[in-house]
Amino acid sequence: MRKFTSTLLILVPLLVMAGCTMPEIKGVTEHMDMISTTVKATSKASRPISDEEEYYVGRSVAARILDSYSIYKNRKLTRYVNAVGQTIVIHSDKPYTFGGYHFAVLDSREINAFACPGGIIFITKGMVDMVKNEDELAAVLAHEISHINHRDGIGSIKQARWTEALVVIGTTAAKEYGDKDVARLAGLFEGSIDDVVKTLVVNGYGREQEFNADRKAMTMLTKAGYDPESLQVFVARLIEKGRTSKGGMFKTHPGTQKREENIKANIPKGKTAPDLLAKRSKRFMAAVN
Amino acid sequence: MKYRPIIIFALLFILTPTLAFADQLKVVTKENAIRKECKFFSPVKAEVRYDDIMDLVSKEGDWYKVKFGDTGGCIHKSAVEVKKFKLSGLFGKKAEASSDEVALAGKGFNPQVESAYRKKNPKLNFALVDRIEGLNVPQEQLMEFIEKGGLNLP
Repeated sequence: MRKFTSTLLILVPLLVMAGCTMPEIKGVTEHMDMISTTVKATSKASRPISDEEEYYVGRSVAARILDSYSIYKNRKLTRYVNAVGQTIVIHSDKPYTFGGYHFAVLDSREINAFACPGGIIFITKGMVDMVKNEDELAAVLAHEISHINHRDGIGSIKQARWTEALVVIGTTAAKEYGDKDVARLAGLFEGSIDDVVKTLVVNGYGREQEFNADRKAMTMLTKAGYDPESLQVFVARLIEKGRTSKGGMFKTHPGTQKREENIKANIPKGKTAPDLLAKRSKRFMAAVN
Repeated sequence: MKYRPIIIFALLFILTPTLAFADQLKVVTKENAIRKECKFFSPVKAEVRYDDIMDLVSKEGDWYKVKFGDTGGCIHKSAVEVKKFKLSGLFGKKAEASSDEVALAGKGFNPQVESAYRKKNPKLNFALVDRIEGLNVPQEQLMEFIEKGGLNLP
């Protein structure tokens, strides 16, 4: 009996601490059932594309882009672009994605950059030639990283397509799909990749997405110690160039005049020391030449 | 006396969820690290992989202090997902099963689906994509790059 009393003396205060009352105890089994029901039901209901799924879409988007462009084979430049990119990444809202961020240069004179969902970022050699220093290169990469942070690419997948994919995902109990289900999902996967590629290469993002990416890019640049004004300087040059050029970024990033206004209105205060700018410009020149 | 086993069972039944559903974190990146301090470039105490589960100790800015087996340390919030369970009203705590939790790990657009897509599009160069994914900047090199450029560490 004494043993039982001491057990109660330990357990009852714990119960009180947990804040339970008798009616709540009565509802415990209902809650436990609810957990199981919620897990089962939610798997069939709407959910966003997970980071892992975004990664697989992004890999295929990258493969599609590489079907149209070749890689610019220059280790020194590739290493440098990755170093600048990673410097920005660690100051971003989402420094870690499922597969991480990776940067590659495309062998094209076109002035463009593409952010594949999940973290692969392409920048054309034409774009590298257009930026004049490391801070401008950082500005371009920060803009693309913003698109990944905000899942702008993955957001371009048609809702109806994803809803249909969820039906297949939700109705398959096994972890491995059967032939019929995998064929259906592969079709929806292909359609999703088409949606993203169309946005990245043909239509471009919406104006608000571009404006937001610019604002976030300037925040990242400032945090990293780069000059946020470099984005405005670069966009001004882009506008100038756009008067005589068509295609590439000029096709997917229209209305750059308004972009510049948005950038000007949102440039964070503070100046970057000229000696540091010069120091970084020097290593930029060494990497690109 | 005869009610003793029933009472003990009832009390354990009530208390078990408190212990079993302590906040946990699930790694949502392919691989990551538990660091000594809650900042980038801090020494790595343990390496973790996708789906690894750890206990949440506390939050420190953008980092979580965690316990992974016997190892304590920090992991960035973007590398993990908080596992939540619906226990509304039981302990005055309302939470829901997270979307990824119920996505049933590995289901959806996964390697099996990518494989089917690759079979259908054999010309696509996934080997090159793999090589691009291998482009990484070692931690020490990145620190040096940041410092030499007069840039800021986070």
